[in-house]
Amino acid sequence: MILVKDLSIERSNKTIFNNVNLSLGSGNIILLKGKNGSGKTTLLKTIVNIIDPSSGSIYWKGKPLKKNLYDFYNHTTYIADKTSSLSKLTVQDNIKIWKKIFLSKINNSQIESILKTLKLDNYLNQKVSSLSFGETKKLEFLRLIIEDKKIWILDEPLSSLDDESIDIIGQTFQDHRSKEGSIIFSSHQNSDIGVTEEIRL
Amino acid sequence: MKFLNKIVSFYYREYKLNLSGLQDILTNIIFFFISIFIFIFSIGPDRETISLIGVGILWTLLLLSSTLSLRKFYQDDFENGNLLITHLNGFSFGFIAILKTFSHFLFVQIPFLLSIPIACILLNIVNDKLIYLFISFSIGSLILSCLGSISSSMNLMNQRNFLLGSVIVMIFSIPVIIFSVGIINMEENFNSLINILFGILLIVFAINPWASGLCLKLSLENN
Repeated sequence: MILVKDLSIERSNKTIFNNVNLSLGSGNIILLKGKNGSGKTTLLKTIVNIIDPSSGSIYWKGKPLKKNLYDFYNHTTYIADKTSSLSKLTVQDNIKIWKKIFLSKINNSQIESILKTLKLDNYLNQKVSSLSFGETKKLEFLRLIIEDKKIWILDEPLSSLDDESIDIIGQTFQDHRSKEGSIIFSSHQNSDIGVTEEIRL
Repeated sequence: MKFLNKIVSFYYREYKLNLSGLQDILTNIIFFFISIFIFIFSIGPDRETISLIGVGILWTLLLLSSTLSLRKFYQDDFENGNLLITHLNGFSFGFIAILKTFSHFLFVQIPFLLSIPIACILLNIVNDKLIYLFISFSIGSLILSCLGSISSSMNLMNQRNFLLGSVIVMIFSIPVIIFSVGIINMEENFNSLINILFGILLIVFAINPWASGLCLKLSLENN
């Protein structure tokens, strides 16, 4: 589905990475690994067309990404390294807004069971600002289920999470994979969550 | 239909966000009224003088008050990643700029518009001029929202100097103030001034999505 060919990025005359190639087909989970500053976030941002590459190309369903951009966006959920939930609002309000924005058909009982699994069910009426960073991050993962898209692009999804939460995320990844979904995510830590390919930057 | 639903959802989110930050809107309006009182106290009790320069005072304060809210125009959405999410949800950066401009007009400028009658009583502006003030402010404030969008998106690229954006808004709003105050003070033929004001609105409305959209993209790219 996504094909990255000879991608290079230069910023302020500094090469961030050179000739990166990857192919993300259905059912694939690709892990981008590298030290801080190795260009993981830059690569993910380039794949979602926020950063223009210095050279190389990205294809979506066989066509250049830029010519097929909004179809790509229709199939993609991107979770950045910062949380997008609105801190002034309650957890419930945020979920309500996400459901409306992404025109989600997910019902409340499904959301309740996911919140229970993530141990966030007691915080429904609390403001997001009162949650810890890890809890806010877990809330962010709810977007994956609400948006219900085939491609997940995740920037450092495992950081700030405890082992139990990492296991839950791993299970969610496998469920998504079994539905022919694809995931590309970055991480600098070692974890065993059923990765099919690892790319070092 | 799907696209329309997304736009409605966007404004639902803006509504919820502005409702939770109601104190910011109230602070702006309080700033506006306190500034009117300061002007009145500094000019003295001469009602005729106040009446003569009242419209000018009103417009200057409206400009300053709406400039206060510019910092929040894109900053929060930029910092928490919602700008990017909105883009990935199918809106181009230019279209996001249009949506945010109308949101600024609805949730920041309209409360000022509603407070104009009270301000007119304080500044001894005669009732006959009220309708012209409403017309000029409706068009003028939309122009200020467009200029605000451009300057705020530029500020995202230049995080260190917020004042630069405010200066840009102030410089480009000079013609708006000239023609807006002209409409109210003119005895007849005010249609020509409204047309000019409307022309300025069309120009900034056309430039806004291009300029703001480009700045938003560049700021996300360099973030």
